[in-house]
Amino acid sequence: MWEELLIKLAVSGAVLGGVLNLAGMQTWLERKQSALMQDRIGANRAYFTVPWWLGGGPVNWVLRKLGGLGILNALADVIKLLTKEDIIPAKGNRFLHTLAPFLSVFFALLAFAAIPIGPPLILGGRQIPLQVADINAGLLFILALASIGVYGVILAGLTSGNNLSTLGGLRAASQMLAYEIALGVSLIGLVVCYGTLDMGLLVERQGELLWGWLPRWGVLLQPVGCIVFMTAALAETKRVPFDLPEGEPEIIGYFTEYSGMKFGLFFLTDFVEVVLVAALTTALFFGGWQVPYLQPGGFVFPWGAVVPVPHLAYVGLGLLSFTVKVVAFIWFFMLIRWTLPRFRYDQLMHLGWKILFPLSLLNIAVTSVVIVVGSAHP
Amino acid sequence: MAETPKQITLTIDGKTVTVPDGTTVLQACEKANSPVPFYCYHPGLSIAGNCRICLVEIVGTPKLQIACYTPAANGMVVNTTSDKTLSGRRDVLEFLLINHPLDCPVCDQAGECWLQDYYMQHGLYDPKFNETKQKKPKAVPIGPTVMLDAERCILCSRCVRFTDEISKTGELGIFNRGDHAEVGVQPGKELNNNYSGNVVDICPVGALTDRDFRFKCRVWYLGATNSVCTGCSRGCNIQIHYNRERQWRPHIANGERVMRLKPRYNPDVNKWWMCDEGRYGYKFIDENRLTQVQLRHQGAPKTATWDEGVDLIGATLKRLRDAKQLDQVGVVLSSHLTNEDLFVAKRLFAELGVRQVVFQRPKNGASDNFLLQADKSPNAKGAQALGIAESAEGLLEKAAKGQLKVLWVFTQDLSTIFGEAKIREAAKGLELLVFQGTNDHLTAQLAHVVLPSAVCAEKDGTLTNVDGRVQRIHAALGPWAQSRGDWEIMQDMAARLGVALSYPDAPAIFADLAAREPAFNGLSYQLIGDQGVLLKA
Amino acid sequence: MSTLGEQLLHRIRDAHKRRTLTWWERIYLPAIAQGLWITSMHFWRNLFLHIAHRLGLFRDQPASVTIQYPDQRRITSPRLRTRHRLTKREDGTPRCVACMMCETVCPARCIYIVAGEHPDPNVEKVPKSFDIDLGKCVYCGYCVEACPEDAIRMDTQRHDIAAYSRDGMWLDIKELLNPGTRQFNEPPEKFVQLTPSEFRQLPQTPPPPPPGTGR
Repeated sequence: MWEELLIKLAVSGAVLGGVLNLAGMQTWLERKQSALMQDRIGANRAYFTVPWWLGGGPVNWVLRKLGGLGILNALADVIKLLTKEDIIPAKGNRFLHTLAPFLSVFFALLAFAAIPIGPPLILGGRQIPLQVADINAGLLFILALASIGVYGVILAGLTSGNNLSTLGGLRAASQMLAYEIALGVSLIGLVVCYGTLDMGLLVERQGELLWGWLPRWGVLLQPVGCIVFMTAALAETKRVPFDLPEGEPEIIGYFTEYSGMKFGLFFLTDFVEVVLVAALTTALFFGGWQVPYLQPGGFVFPWGAVVPVPHLAYVGLGLLSFTVKVVAFIWFFMLIRWTLPRFRYDQLMHLGWKILFPLSLLNIAVTSVVIVVGSAHP
Repeated sequence: MAETPKQITLTIDGKTVTVPDGTTVLQACEKANSPVPFYCYHPGLSIAGNCRICLVEIVGTPKLQIACYTPAANGMVVNTTSDKTLSGRRDVLEFLLINHPLDCPVCDQAGECWLQDYYMQHGLYDPKFNETKQKKPKAVPIGPTVMLDAERCILCSRCVRFTDEISKTGELGIFNRGDHAEVGVQPGKELNNNYSGNVVDICPVGALTDRDFRFKCRVWYLGATNSVCTGCSRGCNIQIHYNRERQWRPHIANGERVMRLKPRYNPDVNKWWMCDEGRYGYKFIDENRLTQVQLRHQGAPKTATWDEGVDLIGATLKRLRDAKQLDQVGVVLSSHLTNEDLFVAKRLFAELGVRQVVFQRPKNGASDNFLLQADKSPNAKGAQALGIAESAEGLLEKAAKGQLKVLWVFTQDLSTIFGEAKIREAAKGLELLVFQGTNDHLTAQLAHVVLPSAVCAEKDGTLTNVDGRVQRIHAALGPWAQSRGDWEIMQDMAARLGVALSYPDAPAIFADLAAREPAFNGLSYQLIGDQGVLLKA
Repeated sequence: MSTLGEQLLHRIRDAHKRRTLTWWERIYLPAIAQGLWITSMHFWRNLFLHIAHRLGLFRDQPASVTIQYPDQRRITSPRLRTRHRLTKREDGTPRCVACMMCETVCPARCIYIVAGEHPDPNVEKVPKSFDIDLGKCVYCGYCVEACPEDAIRMDTQRHDIAAYSRDGMWLDIKELLNPGTRQFNEPPEKFVQLTPSEFRQLPQTPPPPPPGTGR
């Protein structure tokens, strides 16, 4: 009993730590990647030194190098956000105004519970699923939490006592509504293909081979669903080109009346959501923790070669595969964020309701027909 | 009446003009509105005809003629704008500028220099002079007020003629010949007479400049306002030149406002001239001014607001009025106040019931038989015309004897007139000594209440000169610090004491003044104009 | 010869005449992919170059267009209008004759000159104090244009005026004659007045560096 609890705590701690660190590193990634994409250098000046009794010279040398890479800027950000004055507008609701950012970040983090980050680990005869909560309708759980996430945003807009913030919150709400549908519907095809809502099973079934040589990843079975899902999921993160709810530079967003770490929490939510979307895309369409041709016993290649792999290495490779895929998708979303300009609001609505939604419906129909026909003529 | 001179008619630039016989062509041209350039000609001096710039073409004469020395004749046809005339003038200007150093950047005359003006109007040639320019003395102080730069001189001899004919002192002359000719003072002399500043005014170039104005301010920063000199009872017409850019350029002359005074033509008063005493007697406008209301009632002086000061005087006067002791109040007005100020004061104290209202002149000073008057009061005639009695001596004696409670002194420093001891004695016997004036001096320091007031350069109004000529002054500047116009202060006091006096501005006061005072009947600002009007005897 | 209304109508018509997109263009995905390709190529190229630079390779290929400003300085045109200086005569006194041309022409009214007497009557006039309030200056260069004596120039190649106060942006005559002698956090000597002999005793700094070399 206590062991179970400890194991769960360890797994959830690892997931939480991993997600938060990935989210935190995104501030660095955002600065440096955008700089490289735009032929700039990016943040390279923030650093600090420590006195001799904390290591002195060698540590300072490392800090200097880290500062040159711009990594210490994230630390400076945190110090700044924590020490800034926390403002609650006179016309705002004190309690709800404070609650909103926490609500926002809480549900974003909770969704990670259902995502498997690696193959089940067998340690001392006990099977430990590398998944915080093995929910058999995990996909629904994630979709539900993604929908709840918008409450934090609406609350922030409404309780700021600022008409423009309220409008920002409403923009966020209608944007979420428009893309939530496409998001959900685009996944139905996937569910039809794999026949399960359980995230663990979904990932496991993507390890099978198609025609004996092609990994049965979601992106191959559901290319249209994948594109629709990624677009809709990107819209859910409220980042460029879908950043109409906030629109930092010119249109006023829902968190205008926030300062200090509360503002920082909204920022963190954005980054956590990016990680979530990357993790979901990985888990649903890109094989999750699966490595092509890697079976629990070892690599089994289509031409018959077999390379045995010990169990711990197998689990490690799975975790590595998941992490690499997630980081790659974070990089990809960042690439999109720094390449595409923002949509106009009517274009946004047009894309959500008139293109993505019908496209995902069509996808279900086509998928269903193919499945039915395929099972009739195996 | 002398017989009317014969009238002659001539044609100038196609315009027919009729002038009296004996007029020069130059004057006729001015009347025909075809101005001719000139340097050496000055209407107040004899005609020398040596600068040669005033060339005009007279039909029938083969060569160009100088307009300043050619008498107009009946039927003459003059052309001031023909090509021949213009090229002649351009050549003359080029000759005049041969030895000119062209040091306009350092020259104080730059901006009001006739060489610059006529070069732009008639010159604009490419200089053909390749030889070395003559070196002559530069920056030579030839007297306490005038600086000579012989290189800039074009030898028009106006200054020499001025010292010969107007000041009749003859200090200046032209020495040497040809290229080496230069203006200078006679050996062993210096240009030091009470009218020496005028040579700076009449010098058309930068050869003679004012040592007082030297490097103080560029002339294009100056604003000019017509006014009247308050240095003596002559009331010479002047222009106050002040630093128009003071708001943005407070560093000029350490923030002083008035830069210089210049005489203004008035044929009946000062013609083109003014004396040095008046010319350099403007410093009091910016120096040693009273800036704030001060109360010295008990012990050390302390600054106060206008309300506090006026309330204190008002309360005292009210108490004396209620106790029917207004015969213990004395008022010493000043001959430096404008007619408007005096009139408002007269009305205020008459309606209040104060009988002992006199005016006081400043101490007599130097005089000469040209402009300078011994009586240094700019408006004593005005005070007399308003029927105000003279001399504060009686009131001071009363105060010393303790028969006065309140004495209200305007502007004048009584200590320089009656001696320090008398004032101190009088101040001791008084309950309240009010001083309302412009500058700080002993009388102000003895007063219990000091009200700062505006000087004439900050006021609109009229002054009456020694001949009884009412002349207009205009406010060139705003009131210094917290000071206010005298009539405004008295109107404030009237409101405290329940006397109905509410004039919006100086013209309204003068309109009322002209209606109520027989000596001023029928006068108005329009009638006074720039040149003034004589009072009816 | 068309009325304003007609011109507007034409404009509206032209706006409607915008080319209709083909189906391929309308799905946007190829265009998006193209854009992502360009930006990611920049990313990888620069990432590679940054790493290569660390290893001492491909130093001649810049990985960014950024100039690391306080450490590196842009090569500026010699005609760039930078901070003012007053030129000097051979004896160290200012060439300026306090004619107030620059003061007069200055549209920001940021020049303050007090004139004084020069012992040499052929020079006659010299500034006692010459101050420029860089906080007001708009760098139009009219003062240089107006100067009849080539006494004021804007060629110090200094274009960074940072100060902790407005007073810190004030240039007194000492700083104008010898640019760079005052540190940016030292207070200026506002309206400091010097005589020609004091001008000669000022420390003489070399003329400003050639453009682009920074300081």
